[in-house]
Amino acid sequence: MSTEILLGAAYGVLLLGGALTLEWLSRHTHNRSQAFRTSGFDYDAQHDFWVCHQGEQLWPTEFDREKRLVRYRAKAAVCNACPAKKDCTDSHHGREITKALDPWPHSEAGRFHRGIAVMLTVLACFVLTVVLIRNHGPAALAVLGPLLLLALGMTWWLARDLLRTPTGFPEAKPAHGNRIEAK
Amino acid sequence: MEEKSVRRGFLLSKGWLQAVVIVMLLGFTVLGILAYRTYQEGAPVPVKVFDPEGQLLFDGDDISEGQQVFLHNGLMEYGSVFGHGAYLGPDYTADYLRRASNISIAEKGGPPVDEDGLEIEDSDPDPMPRADVARQETINEFRKNQFDEDSGELTFTQSQTDAFEKLIPYYTRFFSADNTENGLRKEAITDPEDLRNLTAFFAWTAWAAAAERPGKDYSYTNNWPPEPRVDNKPTADALVWSAISLIALLGGIGLLFGAFGRYRDLGWHGREQTVVAFRDPSKVQLTPGQKATAWFFFVMAALFLIQCFVGAAVQHYRAELTSFFGFDLAAVLPYNLLRTWHVQLSIFWVATSFVAAGIFLAPMIARKEPKGQGPLGYFLLIALAIVVFGTLIGSYLGIHGVLEDAATNWFGLQGFEYLDLARFWQVLLIVGLVVWVYMLFRVMRSRLKREHPGNMPWLFFLAACAIPAFYAVGLLARTADDFTITEFWRFWVVHLWVEDFLEIFTTVMVAYMFVLLGVVRERVALMVILLDIGLYSVGGVVGTMHHLYFSGTPAEHMALGAFFSAIEVVPLTFLTVEAWSFLQLGANQESKSESAFPHRWAVMFLVAVGFWNFLGAGVFGFLVNLPIVSYFEIGTALTANHAHAAMMGVYGMLAIGLSLFCLRYMIPSNKWPEKWAKVSFWGTNLGLAWMCFATLLPLGIMQLYKSVNDGYFEARQLDFLTDNTTEMIEWLRLPGDVVFIVFGAIPVLWMTFLGVKYTLARRKEDGGGDGDGDSDAELFTVISGPALEDEPPEFQSRTDPTPGT
Ligand code: HEM
Ligand SMILES: [Fe+2]
Repeated sequence: MSTEILLGAAYGVLLLGGALTLEWLSRHTHNRSQAFRTSGFDYDAQHDFWVCHQGEQLWPTEFDREKRLVRYRAKAAVCNACPAKKDCTDSHHGREITKALDPWPHSEAGRFHRGIAVMLTVLACFVLTVVLIRNHGPAALAVLGPLLLLALGMTWWLARDLLRTPTGFPEAKPAHGNRIEAK
Repeated sequence: MEEKSVRRGFLLSKGWLQAVVIVMLLGFTVLGILAYRTYQEGAPVPVKVFDPEGQLLFDGDDISEGQQVFLHNGLMEYGSVFGHGAYLGPDYTADYLRRASNISIAEKGGPPVDEDGLEIEDSDPDPMPRADVARQETINEFRKNQFDEDSGELTFTQSQTDAFEKLIPYYTRFFSADNTENGLRKEAITDPEDLRNLTAFFAWTAWAAAAERPGKDYSYTNNWPPEPRVDNKPTADALVWSAISLIALLGGIGLLFGAFGRYRDLGWHGREQTVVAFRDPSKVQLTPGQKATAWFFFVMAALFLIQCFVGAAVQHYRAELTSFFGFDLAAVLPYNLLRTWHVQLSIFWVATSFVAAGIFLAPMIARKEPKGQGPLGYFLLIALAIVVFGTLIGSYLGIHGVLEDAATNWFGLQGFEYLDLARFWQVLLIVGLVVWVYMLFRVMRSRLKREHPGNMPWLFFLAACAIPAFYAVGLLARTADDFTITEFWRFWVVHLWVEDFLEIFTTVMVAYMFVLLGVVRERVALMVILLDIGLYSVGGVVGTMHHLYFSGTPAEHMALGAFFSAIEVVPLTFLTVEAWSFLQLGANQESKSESAFPHRWAVMFLVAVGFWNFLGAGVFGFLVNLPIVSYFEIGTALTANHAHAAMMGVYGMLAIGLSLFCLRYMIPSNKWPEKWAKVSFWGTNLGLAWMCFATLLPLGIMQLYKSVNDGYFEARQLDFLTDNTTEMIEWLRLPGDVVFIVFGAIPVLWMTFLGVKYTLARRKEDGGGDGDGDSDAELFTVISGPALEDEPPEFQSRTDPTPGT
């Protein structure tokens, strides 16, 4: 078997591995930036509320279905009297914090990373095909064939997901969400 | 004189500023000491070189002359010396060393060599009794340092002398060949004197590569290149510092993330802004200076496209050396000419964008623009155009031998890779950049007066000053000086520009864009900027030495370079756009906005900058950064892989992003080419990623493998590039290149053309009058909402309280 077949196969695997690594990293930075956005606030998952750096609680007030986010708000009276208000909010109705599924530009950054991952799997298909054509024969087919199928499968899976994910770019229109009773 | 209390105080605690100043001072103190050490301990250029009989072979002036022949003929853009230069031709240090040691071994009874100094393939298979002795004697002779420090005289052994005399005809044949088969022009160098001096220069680099430093058991180049014939192998330092720098990187990342797990201690909690609306950017009035930048961006895009085409031709030499679709390209545009154009254009178009973005942002920051900024802008543009085309034409004349000697140096090319341009153009470019800084200063002057020097307006201005200041350091690299010293100063420019000061200027500009858009508070932006300056500079300043592991500088350059440049990677894993994410960039999504965020694609290009900072600079940069890797890798495709991913990925994407940010104000919203912006975003990014992953990375890995297994000399030979599999790899990139040019570069040109078109139309609407810039009719920023308390009081009153449309 020619070394080119082995090299091609190895590089194909490397590219697919690269695509998966990128997927994982992208998710990881996404979580990290989520943590940054709510920095200074602690979330109580059990009771679904946030505690701000001054110890005040923020409870859910609104669920915005269209933008896929939940708004939490602290009591206006407390915030307006708070010494840290200046650095916290300009609202007189109490500090609000949102928990979004994926706010822009992170939504679109995620798509960008996904796009690069798809490119890597497409490239893997391309490399494997070129090597297969150049070294056609049963040995090449046995080694490269399954890999090519795997690469095609991954491309299909990632690309479909990419096409389904919205960019999340906020268009210009006023929000209208469903009010939730403040607890 | 009396400014008294008007000056606004520093927005953060003094510790931030002190930390940054200390980091900078320490970094440059170390770099200063290393500069001194380079002059003291750099590989010495002998005053005279004698043969064993005491006959003069060549002298220091010959070496210097030969170095100038090398540089002025653009050979550093063809092959390399000490591993630095271009990659189509051989590395002449390794090349000379291989041939000379072969000749020596043959002379002493080892395997015979041909007239080129290469072993004759199927020579007598019988074991030669003398072979081992011949090899050992050659090692002893080449490693023994016969340089006399006091007199500055060097004595060659008999076989070193013979090798030198035999290699003059070899290099003569190579450089005066009557064909273009090697990618050089026909009869590139024919003067016998020049050819002899050129060989002397190569001989000197090869001598420094093998002769042991006084008192040490490794050569002046830390045993580079790898060459068993003279017993060159990695030094203990190279191994130890590779390990230590790896630990430094991992430890640094751990520390940083540990520290930022506690980021709230820094007082960072996202601030909410309830009323955010973005004024339609095309309703924002532009100053004459800002209008002038439309042309800058158009020129930028044109240069970008030209660079792409030149790059395609450069690539063609690698994929198909001897014919350009049947046309003898090298007769007109030899490889080295195209490569110097390619490299210089990359710097020029990125710089054009930075310059324009600075001119565009300054009046937004100062909120006014003095008269005359428009004409100054056009003047600067013309000056830049003269430098660019003067440089390109000069390189052509220099490489084609029309200009010679001093004329070449001043108007043709100096020939240092990345600082190729001739001295006259270099000086003119520096003057141009100083004029640019002056333009920023006259806009910002009154604002600066009222600000503490640690605040953002000053940082913007100082970061801009650093760009010409560090470019000017390049003047210290003079073609006649010792090569080790010219390399040292050259990398001050190359490295400190891209890995420190441009990163800093970038952060300041991006921070300001966010502040002006109202999505980030000035205090927080200032924190990010200072953190950024500190983090980049801790590693980046001393990290410069990662380019000088093997250039004849002492071992401590390698040790410090490896350690600090590894730390450089730490902020790259962190300081991407993600670092801004807690600043609620999508603010208008969360607050209930009525207008869309206008800079979608500018921000997406910044997202791309973050990605490439991580992949291209961080991962691919670190891949070639350990001394032990660099030892085998330097000057191969893996460097090209890193260089493309980092230079285009970070600064190319940034240049385009900045242009889109500014163009958004020039092109009316209903004419804004949203589709083209999107196409160019995906085109440039996918094209670049394909280029790296389809060709540069796999080729680099194969070349590294070849270098470790068969030898560095072998890995740099043309027949490696024309090997069947590598040739296929060279072709694999083609689809990516097409995407990059057609969907990446061309749409950018189209959008910048629209910028020019609508700016001209707008001028007519404005009644042709450029007006006097001092009027502050419209607010330049696009945010509207409650005033930011950080602003000086006089600005607050001007903030427009009504939401824009
Ligand atoms: C945006 C940032 C960066 C840019 C634009 C950039 C660009 C470049 C370029 C153009 C070269 C080629 C120089 C030559 O051929 O002589 C280069 C070489 C190199 N870079 Fe970077 N770089 C960046 C960041 C980094 C980082 C963060 C590291 C690692 C810590 C790094 C490590 C290296 C090394 C070791 C070389 C020398 C390779 C050789 O000469 O073979 N770079 N870089
Ligand atoms: Fe560097």
